[in-house]
Amino acid sequence: MKDKDERVIALLGQPNSGKSTLFNALTGMKQHVGNWPGKTVEKKEGYFEHNGNKYLVADLPGTYSLSANSDEEIITRDYIAGGKADVVCILADSSQLERSLYMTADFAGITVPVFLVLNLCDVSESQGKKINAEEISKRLNIPVILFSAQNKKNYDKFYEALEEALAKKTTLDSKNLESKYETIPYYNTIKSLVKDDLIPGYSSVWLAAKAVEGDEPLIAKIKTSLEGDSRSAFENAVAKINSDTDKKWVLVTGEAKFNWIDDILNGCVTSKSNGRKLSGFDRIITNRFLGKPLVVLIVLFGLIASFIPAIPFMGLGSAVEYLAGPVTRALSSINCPAFVTAIICDVLINSLSFILKMLGFVFGVTLVFGLLEEVGIMARISYVFDNTMSKLGLQGKSVMPFLVSFGCTMGGAAGARVIDNWGQKVLTIALAWAVPCGAAWAVVPMLSTVWFGGAAPVIIAAILLVMVLHMWITSKVFGRTLVKKEDRYGMIMELPPYHKPKWSSLFRYVLGRTKDTFFRVTKVVIIVSFVFWLLTFTNSGSMDNSVLYRVGQFIEPVTKIFGLGWKTFMAFVVSSLGKEGAIGVLSSIFTDHNMLTVGSAVASTHVENINELLVANVAKPEALAFIFAITFNMPCIVALAATYQETHSAKWTAIIAVYYTVLALLIACAAYHIGLLIW
Amino acid sequence: MEKDKMKTLFEIGKDKTCVVAAVKGDTRFISRITSIGITPGCKVTIVKNEKSRPIIIYSRDTMIALNRNECKNIMVNETGDAA
Repeated sequence: MKDKDERVIALLGQPNSGKSTLFNALTGMKQHVGNWPGKTVEKKEGYFEHNGNKYLVADLPGTYSLSANSDEEIITRDYIAGGKADVVCILADSSQLERSLYMTADFAGITVPVFLVLNLCDVSESQGKKINAEEISKRLNIPVILFSAQNKKNYDKFYEALEEALAKKTTLDSKNLESKYETIPYYNTIKSLVKDDLIPGYSSVWLAAKAVEGDEPLIAKIKTSLEGDSRSAFENAVAKINSDTDKKWVLVTGEAKFNWIDDILNGCVTSKSNGRKLSGFDRIITNRFLGKPLVVLIVLFGLIASFIPAIPFMGLGSAVEYLAGPVTRALSSINCPAFVTAIICDVLINSLSFILKMLGFVFGVTLVFGLLEEVGIMARISYVFDNTMSKLGLQGKSVMPFLVSFGCTMGGAAGARVIDNWGQKVLTIALAWAVPCGAAWAVVPMLSTVWFGGAAPVIIAAILLVMVLHMWITSKVFGRTLVKKEDRYGMIMELPPYHKPKWSSLFRYVLGRTKDTFFRVTKVVIIVSFVFWLLTFTNSGSMDNSVLYRVGQFIEPVTKIFGLGWKTFMAFVVSSLGKEGAIGVLSSIFTDHNMLTVGSAVASTHVENINELLVANVAKPEALAFIFAITFNMPCIVALAATYQETHSAKWTAIIAVYYTVLALLIACAAYHIGLLIW
Repeated sequence: MEKDKMKTLFEIGKDKTCVVAAVKGDTRFISRITSIGITPGCKVTIVKNEKSRPIIIYSRDTMIALNRNECKNIMVNETGDAA
């Protein structure tokens, strides 16, 4: 993708360093989101032009260091060492300079041109800190700028630093850090063995320090690159480090890095405030009793707020739906074959309408979550729900997608984006599917009332109970594979100072995301709708000849075990497309016997006397089985597609979908047999 | 300092200060905790320490939330009250 005259900038920074804001501000809508080859980590690239030069910006995954603790960290350092970047821009948080310069210290020894952006200087100024960037720049021998994404003037400084770093090929002066490393005996041994060009892209200083730290992937790489005596000498040194139980050398290099940072900052930062106390809002949100209700309120308020931007999308979706009538008439007037009309009107128009309506949630949720993240509230939410969510193997943040899923599972899946660990993100989405969405809440209480009258609240309570159990079991089933034991660290996270969002950058990000989701989701939804259409289409317009009808009738003896007759089973299958349509589908099965359409699955129309029909035709135990089956079935095709979009894994999307279908039937089976005992 | 005076981080009360004496655990954990700024010798102020919730500390200019289990691996020497 790289043009010849294009320069590549890699953005490197810890989470909360404002990296995404800078990336969005630089590239605007010229972004491309994909996957790192062979990995499930998201790859973000964008473009911009300045002074007639084209730049490609790679937004490297937000990591805390350049160790090999996660896929994200390995991708990050391989990218830099691989020589793909012409220049690296390291971001540090100027309000927490000492800690956030760790990435710079971990970078020291790498010889790629680099410049340092001390971001969020508006926050550090408000804390009364004064930072002498010029002096830091002298000490590091690279351009260093104070920066805040808020202020347009800052960008000129940014471009200047960028151009200077590229022109002078400024590399980080790490001599003082080296002399600190040299007090470690193993470091000296290893450094004498690894030459600068042993592994392209890494200097001997960096390699030796990482080897001392016990960095397994790198040690393996060094071993294969060395030969003969030096190889065995290296192996000996590594074996000695491992057997040295007295000292953890990773701690020693860590201390060396922070000592080096102290030297760099010495005299360059003056601060009026000594330490920081919890702000008023922080005291409330971290309160043992008030914290959780406050988070739920914030999310609920956010959901309501996100409805406002969702309205235009919903209007557009409904407008598209109305096209079906006129288009059908137009097509039949030109004698278009019935199946072509059906594909265009039923499959394409209805899918599109459904996606557009749901897309509003994605837009709203991405905006609200993005805002919470940028302002700094998301980190507090993580804190508040850390203990609860860690029982499921998740981060505290996972509570947000769960709450959103009560409204819309697609929104929940889109919201899972804020979870930075892939395995935990997939697990969060897998659990969010168990939360009955708005469409389920529109259908299930009504169906419960039809059959069980005053006992409906009991059914609803049972559903909520099953939901909790379901989530717990699912976390056990998938947790082991998705979130490995060694990844199950409890929370180690900074609570960043609050700061104002950069609205234009946020909006561009949200628009870009929504656009991306739209295209990816549409592909999946149209394919699934088309398969559904193949299963249900008949030339006669009656359902009798459709594949689904025949299969349903044929396997009825099997579905009966789960408590579902062919009619309710068909309605169950259709409900995996969209729960809105469950009643409408029952209504056509029990009345006109018309062919089932994609339209009927995703819209909420039904005949008036549906209640009497249902009570007369379906006995209570089967009804109970049906209610549980559709509640815990796959949420809808759009949620399925969004899951694929967020997890970047067709395999895991399929696993989750099959798992939910099977488990819904098992739950139905249990409900049926309990029902048989009662009635 | 004497070893028997050392405490784990979560034994230190609110508004007390301490100095990290040792960090235990595997390489992954140490590398992670180092990258957030907790290394032997660094000063820590306890901002909030309540049962069954992550502990909040202030260290190297940063407010940090730490799971209690992780705190077991961080040994400190108490130095007094925060100014």
